[in-house]
Amino acid sequence: MTQWILAGVLGVLFTLGTYLVLRRDVVRVVWGVTIISQSANVYLVTMGGLAGVAPIGRFGEEGAATPTDPLVQALVLTAIVIGFGTTALALVLTYRVYEEHGTIDVYDLGRGLVDGADDADRDRGPVEGGER
Amino acid sequence: MSGADAGAGTAEDAPDAESGPSLGYERHTTVIARTVVRVTVPIILLTAVALLLQGHNQPGGGFIGAVLTATAFVLVYVVFGQAYLQSDLLGLDTADDTHRAVEYYRWLFTAGLVVALASGLVPLAFGFPFLTQAVAMLEGLPLYGHMEVASAFAFDLGVYFTVVGGLLTVLGEVGTE
Amino acid sequence: MASPVVVAPILVALATAVLTLVTRFDARAQRATSVLGGVAYFAVVAVLFDRVVLSGPTVVPYYVSNWPAPYGITLVADALSAFMLGLAAVVGLAAVVFGSTYVDEFGQRLSYHPLFHFMMAGVSGAFLTGDLFNLFVWFEVMLMSSYVLVLFYSGREHTRAALNYVVLNLLASAVMLVAIGGLYATTGTLNMADMARRLADPAAYGVELAPTLGLASLLLAVFALKAGVVPFHFWVPAAYRAAPAPVTAVLAGVVKKVGVYAIIRLFFTVFAGGAYANTATFAYVGPILALMAGASIVYGGVGAVGRDDVDGLLAFSSVGQVGFIVLPLGVGMAAPDLTVAFAGAERTLAALGVAAALVYAFNHALAKSLLFLASGTLHATVGTTRLDRLGGLAARTPLVAASFLLGGLSLIGVPPLVGFFGKLLVFRTATEAMAGGTPGAGVALAVALGGAVLTIAYVTRAWNAVFWGEPSETVRTVLPERWRGVGAGGDAATDGGTNGGGSDATDRALAVQVTTLVALALCIVGFGVGVEFVVDAAAHAAHAATDTQGYVSAVFDPATQPGGEGGGH
Repeated sequence: MTQWILAGVLGVLFTLGTYLVLRRDVVRVVWGVTIISQSANVYLVTMGGLAGVAPIGRFGEEGAATPTDPLVQALVLTAIVIGFGTTALALVLTYRVYEEHGTIDVYDLGRGLVDGADDADRDRGPVEGGER
Repeated sequence: MSGADAGAGTAEDAPDAESGPSLGYERHTTVIARTVVRVTVPIILLTAVALLLQGHNQPGGGFIGAVLTATAFVLVYVVFGQAYLQSDLLGLDTADDTHRAVEYYRWLFTAGLVVALASGLVPLAFGFPFLTQAVAMLEGLPLYGHMEVASAFAFDLGVYFTVVGGLLTVLGEVGTE
Repeated sequence: MASPVVVAPILVALATAVLTLVTRFDARAQRATSVLGGVAYFAVVAVLFDRVVLSGPTVVPYYVSNWPAPYGITLVADALSAFMLGLAAVVGLAAVVFGSTYVDEFGQRLSYHPLFHFMMAGVSGAFLTGDLFNLFVWFEVMLMSSYVLVLFYSGREHTRAALNYVVLNLLASAVMLVAIGGLYATTGTLNMADMARRLADPAAYGVELAPTLGLASLLLAVFALKAGVVPFHFWVPAAYRAAPAPVTAVLAGVVKKVGVYAIIRLFFTVFAGGAYANTATFAYVGPILALMAGASIVYGGVGAVGRDDVDGLLAFSSVGQVGFIVLPLGVGMAAPDLTVAFAGAERTLAALGVAAALVYAFNHALAKSLLFLASGTLHATVGTTRLDRLGGLAARTPLVAASFLLGGLSLIGVPPLVGFFGKLLVFRTATEAMAGGTPGAGVALAVALGGAVLTIAYVTRAWNAVFWGEPSETVRTVLPERWRGVGAGGDAATDGGTNGGGSDATDRALAVQVTTLVALALCIVGFGVGVEFVVDAAAHAAHAATDTQGYVSAVFDPATQPGGEGGGH
């Protein structure tokens, strides 16, 4: 039963994440990316199997009971730490985008790409008062 | 979100400017919030240290301890303001420039990286592969009795400083935007 | 006994990154640390290369933390890893020297050096690891640094490019995580050697083969995104234009190749050893890779011809050139068992394809990083890379012009430069496949020939517009006469210089940059003349890549495995 619920939850999470990534608002896109990477983490946990006791601490106390696979949990911990860093970066980046362009609408940003095509000269120049 | 950030920034600066340095912290928070923070911050910090210390063979570890520590600082920052956090609580000399405080955080970050990397390199000197860990059991200690000293703790400590330094840097930089 | 030389490249890069953080208070000390770190990295990679390739090709495993495989993380240095590391070391050293004079003082002190070396650590880790999840972690280390480096100047264009780059790569990371989780659930291991062993004999290990096909495809898409192959190329042009020139040199020269390396490692070593390797189930990957490569060659070539600035042109050219790298992989995978005579032995077409891809990757790494660095120098001296504002620079900066020309010619594939031999091997792979009756090999050959013509077109265009003809208005104002090196005619170069400071400092910075360019150009000529060395190394690497059995037995060799009791964790 648990696996069906989890499969459903994963489906919903991935759908939600995909929907948000396709929005025009950059903040929503970042939310979407975050949700997708979190659902990847949930998926990873389910890949270790769902039965068994806690692998660390209780193992050995409960006799024959098999512990859950601890490896996936270690993997997910690593992935969470990485996701933490990247999400922080993405949010700060969103803020910088807003400061530079005055908009967080993806379409407007894309239009800027066409207008700014002749700005190529400035591309490699350091920007005064840039992020410190 | 950017608007909210900017708003929070100006709201903080303004009362400080009015009330002068005597008050030292943000007025626009309620008594409840301030009291709750006073009570919870020490508990959070203690939990963080406990998680850090038991991390090598129990749930916990450098990262989660550091995140909790940073959370405590974030609470102080939200309720009492940046200036209080940096000059009164941490005792950093930030009178002229908030970036001075960030400089300290960066050094913490660097020190953490040095510790973590060094803890991985030490086994190489003894002919073991990178990151090899060892455990020593100390018996018959006064008061404490049995104690376990794990070399993994050095790595955890490095991670702890790195993450605390990194998060406080982010807080200091983004908080002053 | 574990040999620390395997882990040394990662450690040197990590230690340099940390040391550049420690020496942050003094700009000179930091720069010296950074450059010395680049030299040390080159040195340890040379030692590793000697150990793994030159003194008899071997596979050297390293059990991090003294845990035996497959329980701990295993690093594996074989000829393929060593070849890629060598490529990274050459480009990395050039970029670090160039960057220490090119990036402005403030940026260097802030974060440039640590980030650069963390990126190199990520790259080295990805080349060395023998564990699938660890590969993901090193990818993230590399990408995290590259995000910030793309965002380095954090202006209008940079934030937009970085947004594109970050969002796409974060999605790719999530997909990679899903694929890794799935593979773990299916095969019960994350160790690449163990996975190869289990896939080769699925019945004995109780492995269900069907899901691995789909999961492998997910990984293929992720790696193709890292390599910037069509249709996963969207981030490439903007990101390459936004990053500082030395960073772009590494992104195009090395980071891209990490994607290619991962494709080779997983699809030629791990999955190819699988029980389904000789059946039709896995055969779809070869044609798909070839198709994507062909599309890249056409798209990149046409895009590059149409660009009106040097950076943009080079960025689109990267998309096209990576197509040339992936094409022989696809063709080789389409008919893996065809036997051909190559490098003094009978080898499979798969091995020839990998060797061709590696030689071409080496050429592209050298040539493209040289061209991007040259474009950076143009920016530092003239202040623009727009084709219509440049011209006649051959008379003003002959050394830059000569280096650019050599890089461009190597990209086109003119003998005796490395590029010629790279292209030759790519064509050879296609013709051998055609002779062996592989369907579609003729089309691949035709596309490669067309791409070569496009390469000639855009390189010629860039050369004509930038270096030949009469000096343009901009060039006349900035460089009224020929640049003569340090101390002579110094004031000429200061106007457009981004390095600020006195004319002497600017001149010295430019002298360093030009020296780097010339050194890279000499590498291109040198490795072209002594091409046997490169081809031999690539042949060893290709053999290592396709020899699953050797890889597996080296990792599980009881003589090198640490005893049952590992350290604590």
